Amino acid sequence: MLIHHLRVLPLLVRMHVRSQLEYRGAFWLDRLAQILSYGSVFATIGILLSRFDTLGGWRWPELALLFSFQLLAYSLGAAMSFTQLRDLEELVRLGTYDTLLVKPFSPWAYLIFSGLNVGYTGHILLAVPLMGWAVLSVDVAWTVPSALFFIAAIISSTLLTAAIITMIGATALIWVRSNHLFSIFFGFWELTRYPLNIFPGGIQLVLITAVPLALTSSVPVGALLGKPIPILGDWAGAVALVAGPLWVLIAMAYWRYANSRYQGAGG
Amino acid sequence: MSAYLAFARSAFHAQLAYRNEVWANIFGKLVQVFARVAIWLAAFAGIGGAVVDGVSLQQMVTYALLGGAVMGATRPERIINEIGRSLKSGDIAVWLLKPISYPLYIFANECGSFGYRLMTQVIPTVAITALFYGMLPPASAFDGVMFVAFWVLSFVLLSLMSAFCGFIAFWLMTSFSLDWILGALLQLFSGLLVPFWFFPEPLATVARHLPFAWVVYYPNAVYLGRLSTAEVWLHFGLGLAWAAVFLAGVFWLWRCASTRITVQGG
Repeated sequence: MLIHHLRVLPLLVRMHVRSQLEYRGAFWLDRLAQILSYGSVFATIGILLSRFDTLGGWRWPELALLFSFQLLAYSLGAAMSFTQLRDLEELVRLGTYDTLLVKPFSPWAYLIFSGLNVGYTGHILLAVPLMGWAVLSVDVAWTVPSALFFIAAIISSTLLTAAIITMIGATALIWVRSNHLFSIFFGFWELTRYPLNIFPGGIQLVLITAVPLALTSSVPVGALLGKPIPILGDWAGAVALVAGPLWVLIAMAYWRYANSRYQGAGG
Repeated sequence: MSAYLAFARSAFHAQLAYRNEVWANIFGKLVQVFARVAIWLAAFAGIGGAVVDGVSLQQMVTYALLGGAVMGATRPERIINEIGRSLKSGDIAVWLLKPISYPLYIFANECGSFGYRLMTQVIPTVAITALFYGMLPPASAFDGVMFVAFWVLSFVLLSLMSAFCGFIAFWLMTSFSLDWILGALLQLFSGLLVPFWFFPEPLATVARHLPFAWVVYYPNAVYLGRLSTAEVWLHFGLGLAWAAVFLAGVFWLWRCASTRITVQGG
């Protein structure tokens, strides 16, 4: 069964990527527009820092590292989950999801890999050079352990992002509608471009527990830079590394539960 | 006229039908406004002053709350996506058969959504955050009245800009990038997060003359009394001129686009 899946997955990915690249001009124009959009957010933070010097005790290169880390972790995680799980609501509403259930293939694997979103290339093209500059500019004595922590934190944050999005999307299997939950997700996600300590205590707690997006940005980056992390303190680094795999296990259990509750809504 | 009122009413009721979304959107908006205020509290705390460049912290908190109010009820991406969806599905051809104007339908639809978001999201979230952080009243009765006028102008201008971008999709065959490009311009040049008085020169001067400034910056600056009476009238006139330019642009693009439509199949 596993070998069968592994054989089919590259075909699904290739088919979808080719369809996405069918109109090359429009594809790259869309990527350019996304780079401009996130670039303008970054420029706005830059303008703010040019007048105020620090934000919550974080200086400009540190905020650049935070911004690029958050954008990279999100884009890698969302490429594996967002558009696929956002569209699940429509599949459930129209009854199309039933056709995935009768395929001799994991519905999750089919959904994710047949919709693998290479559209996040623009995010990555902006985040990687920015991260390169920020890594060289921040006041950190890079060692092998700190570099390994940084890479592991990106992987953990990617897994955590994909896990949260999967859980939100899977809710459509129970409630039929789930896209309004994505508006809450993105409301919180935008906050994670900034240091956690600038927000009120209630928002800090939510960003670490119920919607743990701070663990994909200011918690691991703050731990690396030696910043004080609210609530977690010295445990911040360890929690950031464990959070990704742990939330993947929770998301897997929730996906199975949501599928067991699925009754079909279309016809 | 009654047809367009019916479209606006229909858009209002259609959105009200999904109660869960109402609560989710209020919650999402509340978080955003709280966050915007938190950013300014942290910025002022970092510099250790209650007044920066002649602007007090309480004025900046008010600016952040007003930014949420002015921008919160208008969704440019909704207009652009609606045009893009009609273009992709071919529904756009049907609008040519109807005895109504498609651009006016788009505007009427957005008016209904604006009313819905104003009542269910903007007023509750701004009221809650204002109770929490405190909000300054308008600098004067005149500034208060003119703020409302600038707010209406902001809505009309943003709707026109969005429709203008949406109709460009007839040539690019994608509305996705237009939505993101307009979002990028608004993020930087509307003054939504950072007002222009904190911008470095010459960027501040450039930003003050772009039409995006009328979306957030000028309404908020008028409310806070940052403009003299003569400047208020001057900038209101300039804003109307920008609206007229985009209005002419929208109808010109729609006329050009109408002649490009080719219906394949049916």
